[in-house]
Amino acid sequence: MLELIALSKRYGDVVALDGLSMVVGAGRIHGFVGRNGAGKTTTMRIVLGLARADAGSVRWRGRPVTAEDRRGFGYMPEERGLYPKMTALAQIVYFARLSGMPAAAASAAAASILDSIGIGERSGEPVEQLSLGNQQRCQLAAALVTSPELLVLDEPFSGLDPVGVDALAAVLQTQVASGTAVVFSSHQLELVERLSDEVTIIDQGRVVASGAVSAVRGSRGADRLRVAVEGAENGWAEGLAGVRVVGRDGDEVELALEAGADDQAVLDAARRAGRVRSFRREAPSLTELFREVVSS
Amino acid sequence: MIRLVAGREVRERIRSKAFRISTGVTLLFILAVAILPGVLSDDGPTKYDVGVFGDRADRLAERLPEVALVGDDVEVRVRRLADAGEGERLVRSGKLDAALGDGRVVVKEELGNRLGFVVDEANRQVAAAAVLAGAGVGGEAAARILAPQPLEVRALDPKSDEEVARQGLVFIGTILLYGQLLGFGYWVASGVVEEKVSRVVEILLAKAPPAQLLAGKVIGIGAVGLIQLLVFLVIGLATAAAFGTVDLPADSLPIAAQVVGWFVLGFAFYSCLFAVGGALASRVEELQSTTTPLTFLAMGSLFAAINSGTDPSGPIARVATFIPFSAPMVLPIRVAAGEVGLVTVVVSVAIVVVSIVAVMALAARVYATGALHLRGQLKLRSALRQEAAGVTVP
Repeated sequence: MLELIALSKRYGDVVALDGLSMVVGAGRIHGFVGRNGAGKTTTMRIVLGLARADAGSVRWRGRPVTAEDRRGFGYMPEERGLYPKMTALAQIVYFARLSGMPAAAASAAAASILDSIGIGERSGEPVEQLSLGNQQRCQLAAALVTSPELLVLDEPFSGLDPVGVDALAAVLQTQVASGTAVVFSSHQLELVERLSDEVTIIDQGRVVASGAVSAVRGSRGADRLRVAVEGAENGWAEGLAGVRVVGRDGDEVELALEAGADDQAVLDAARRAGRVRSFRREAPSLTELFREVVSS
Repeated sequence: MIRLVAGREVRERIRSKAFRISTGVTLLFILAVAILPGVLSDDGPTKYDVGVFGDRADRLAERLPEVALVGDDVEVRVRRLADAGEGERLVRSGKLDAALGDGRVVVKEELGNRLGFVVDEANRQVAAAAVLAGAGVGGEAAARILAPQPLEVRALDPKSDEEVARQGLVFIGTILLYGQLLGFGYWVASGVVEEKVSRVVEILLAKAPPAQLLAGKVIGIGAVGLIQLLVFLVIGLATAAAFGTVDLPADSLPIAAQVVGWFVLGFAFYSCLFAVGGALASRVEELQSTTTPLTFLAMGSLFAAINSGTDPSGPIARVATFIPFSAPMVLPIRVAAGEVGLVTVVVSVAIVVVSIVAVMALAARVYATGALHLRGQLKLRSALRQEAAGVTVP
């Protein structure tokens, strides 16, 4: 289990992290969300020991993280990083050995991981000759080759096509099933919502929401009410107490309900306006929640 | 960890095209130096064809070959001419190098120093003989005046062939040393910046402390440079010995060993500074400006070394012996010239070693800050300030 406790970091006058705390459990996928510059990459770099926190601590399995722990973590940096002229196999072996694996084990693990992510046949080619998609896979192999107990992935899905996204998601789920803790950052919130067990939303170096995805969706932001009414005038929902119109699609309006607003009163108003075809109440999606908490 | 990093450098560098090309080109150069002097060897004295005409043609024809014997490896073949006109024609057509008579000499473009000495001296002797004859001096007296016994040369400190050969060898060794220091030093700088450009450095730093990554890189690239230098020296000396074209001094091997030893020290010193140049740049193009001061210092050191070759006890040589930039190139030359004793060598080595420790510390600090500085060129002062403020890889 990875625990970040009250991390703070300044770069000159810029506050990058301001008392950030979060927990990533073993066998869980943890989505890490925030605007550009919110502090995601800085947080990940501190976990990997690439930056030093001004205050706060990183704990792994209940004790302060050591350099030895960190060598075993799998890391995929945002801007990627491979030696262009080295073959895929040679560099995965190299990274495995830097992580502390003996030569024979590193060779075997590298060959097997490259096979399992589908670039085994091209593993003898210099990386610069691989397609971008295959380079991305090679990058993932670099993070996975040591069978790490913690995977830290900075924007792993950026630049992938839908098939690539599914393939990577499947790989992550396999890892998690074997007990790996995964934390990944992404701007694709639907993806985060679909894949993650837990999510942490940060803004300006502070956590604004954190926990199980369903709990976070339920705890923050206004619930959504989607009501489709046949034959109603457009403005039927305007002026209802505690209700805001946030979207409209044909007959259907999307309403944000403030806390304590009466959904039954909305239903009555809808029936007065016309024939109610559907009436559905749900927690805000992660995207909606994110917009709300980050813009407030 | 350091061995792993160094091992990767050795494997990848030896595989690289740049390494193969530089090895090939330098080997060609070395083979040329070792073999060509034999092929282009001395084919006897320089020959000149000189025509003579006019009143004193006979006497000039007699003196010219005699005077040439005194000259520096010159032979003159004389031809009688009818008149100045024939001389001009033959000089113009290239059949004669010069036509001499009636108090003038005709040449095509210019009268060089060597031929100039011969015709001047012959002309002077003929003219002087005429004056002496007019004054009634002739026979043996005139001959002694015109061609006195040549001076006997007594050198107090004669330069033996052995010494000349030794200086030649150590000079070539120094040129090689300079090439290796600069070439492989630059590889350290470009290796550092290439890892920044490809962003690999971020993965590496998550696995290993910056000082170890840097040490591995320097040791790996240095090992390749050392192996290459040994290959150059062995092949060069073996070729020269086999063809017998170059006079090798008896102490060739100690001289070569000295060059190798100075490569190790010099590379440790220069490569750390090149690593600083690499850490300050964030693109390969910026290496130009971050390593220029270093390149100039290395070139200045080579000039100091060349100067030490001609004047091994001069002020430049004596000062350069104690400057870490120039000591590796200057000392082998001064030692070969027998100019410095053991104490000077020990002091000079000590200065270089202390400097190495200092630049290693500097390089480790700047690298820790610069390695993750991926955008824009960093200033040395700002890198050290940030390092002090903790903006660095722990």
